[in-house]
Amino acid sequence: MLCERCKIREANIQYTEVINGVRTEHNFCAQCAKEMDFGQYSAIFDGEFPLAQLLSGLLGGEMPTQKKGRLQQVTCPTCGTTYEEFVNNSCFGCTDCYGVFDLLIHDNIKQLQGSDCHKGKRPVYQGNQGGEVLQEHAERETEAGKDNREEQIRAWNRKLKEALRMEEYETAAVCRDKIRELKEGKEADA
Amino acid sequence: MLKWFEQVEQENTNIICSKVRLARNWAEYVFPSKLSIDESREMLARLNEGLKDLGELDGRDYESAYLDDLTDLDRRALKERRILNSSILARKAPVSILLTREEDISLVLNGTDHIRIQVLSPGLHVEEALKTANQIDDYVNARFSYAFDEKYGYLTSFPTNMGTGLRATAIVHLPTLSMGKKFPSMLNDMGRFGVCIRGVYGEGRENYGSLYEISNQKTMGRTEEELTALVTKVALQLNDQENQIREMSLKGHRLEREDEVYKSYGVLKYARRLTMKDAMTFLSQLMMGVSDGFIKTQEPCPVFRLMLGIQTANLQKLSERPLDKGELDVARAAYLRSELPELR
Repeated sequence: MLCERCKIREANIQYTEVINGVRTEHNFCAQCAKEMDFGQYSAIFDGEFPLAQLLSGLLGGEMPTQKKGRLQQVTCPTCGTTYEEFVNNSCFGCTDCYGVFDLLIHDNIKQLQGSDCHKGKRPVYQGNQGGEVLQEHAERETEAGKDNREEQIRAWNRKLKEALRMEEYETAAVCRDKIRELKEGKEADA
Repeated sequence: MLKWFEQVEQENTNIICSKVRLARNWAEYVFPSKLSIDESREMLARLNEGLKDLGELDGRDYESAYLDDLTDLDRRALKERRILNSSILARKAPVSILLTREEDISLVLNGTDHIRIQVLSPGLHVEEALKTANQIDDYVNARFSYAFDEKYGYLTSFPTNMGTGLRATAIVHLPTLSMGKKFPSMLNDMGRFGVCIRGVYGEGRENYGSLYEISNQKTMGRTEEELTALVTKVALQLNDQENQIREMSLKGHRLEREDEVYKSYGVLKYARRLTMKDAMTFLSQLMMGVSDGFIKTQEPCPVFRLMLGIQTANLQKLSERPLDKGELDVARAAYLRSELPELR
């Protein structure tokens, strides 16, 4: 159904008004609903990101007012994002925000992401621009290879422990051999 | 030139398409929410200049446009075709896009993050899509240093994207599985594996068309390959379960099932008015028949393309004047009548 106000967008909000027992029904799209005044209910249509709001609840959390008062003075010097802004929008303003709000959010990040340490891809070209970087590429590639190998060793180690816990000795043996293989490769490299 | 979604084949599978998205930020600027309009313009000009030869990387043609230069209808149609999302559309600052003709590869610049690389692909090819995205990522990175932290990985505007900045998605069609009583609780359980599943079309609890989107919940602590493998695994698992249940129902009720599919075809082919919900429901039935192979059409039956085609903005675009609700239903039925291939 089209929104009866703008007649462009799909209506996804049904608004029933009862005034002196007379009932009228309206269909609006979220955008129009936001622009119109529904008194105390307006707030419902404000949020574009329900997830973000949920997050802000988590990020802000329950804390003593005194501590909160102090935190509210924290502001990112680079982009001017305040603690309050950060909690309300669950949104970093710049790279430095990560450093500024780090202490406050560290635990929450862990809860949100299940980890607080990045694994995986790294930028190949960093801190440079243009042609000269391309030559460094090859070097970095091998370094990345090393990192990758260490990561693999860690992964096999985890598997090994799991296998031992489950008393699956055959799997454990495979893991042990893999780790040995990877470690030998590493020494050969170095 | 066929668009990516026109290449979706459906025989013997319920997996429609795969998508990979990487969120990146250029270290030189603050994140988009804190950029002034002028800074946004300057950054976009520099980004567009640096990426103007992107096509040389893979021999593809990229078209570049500022969202402001497109009509509202075009922007909404791009959203329907999954190139833009609502948070990008809601941005007040200038945003620009780079898009291949097939619409499978797109870069959104100055959306919620500076650079958003997206690769779409028909069928289950999350890993391949990641490979393509990585190539583009390296190309961009060679020209623009990324905001990256040793501990937190790629830094993004939202903490839900930090780390890999990767969202890997597969869309599956689960018409039978989703009818089961235990389906909602099964969806909840999927969270434990680290994926979330949500209905693609429809609002609230209703899901028109039984299409479900599987994506990784977390973006940090696991490598890109682990995340794509996870999404692939869950998609295959759900596809398998759907097939098993369908096979069971086919054994005892083949006639009823065929009847349903052909009736749906009949309605889609001859109706004069179709609401979104009805059209999606019948298309979903037809999709099931195509995938099970008991409805044969003269040309391949592109059900997913039709599902995208009957969305509001696309129908509005095809029409010369704005349509109200009733007229849209008529336009939708007319579109389906002309686009559905004849039975064999």
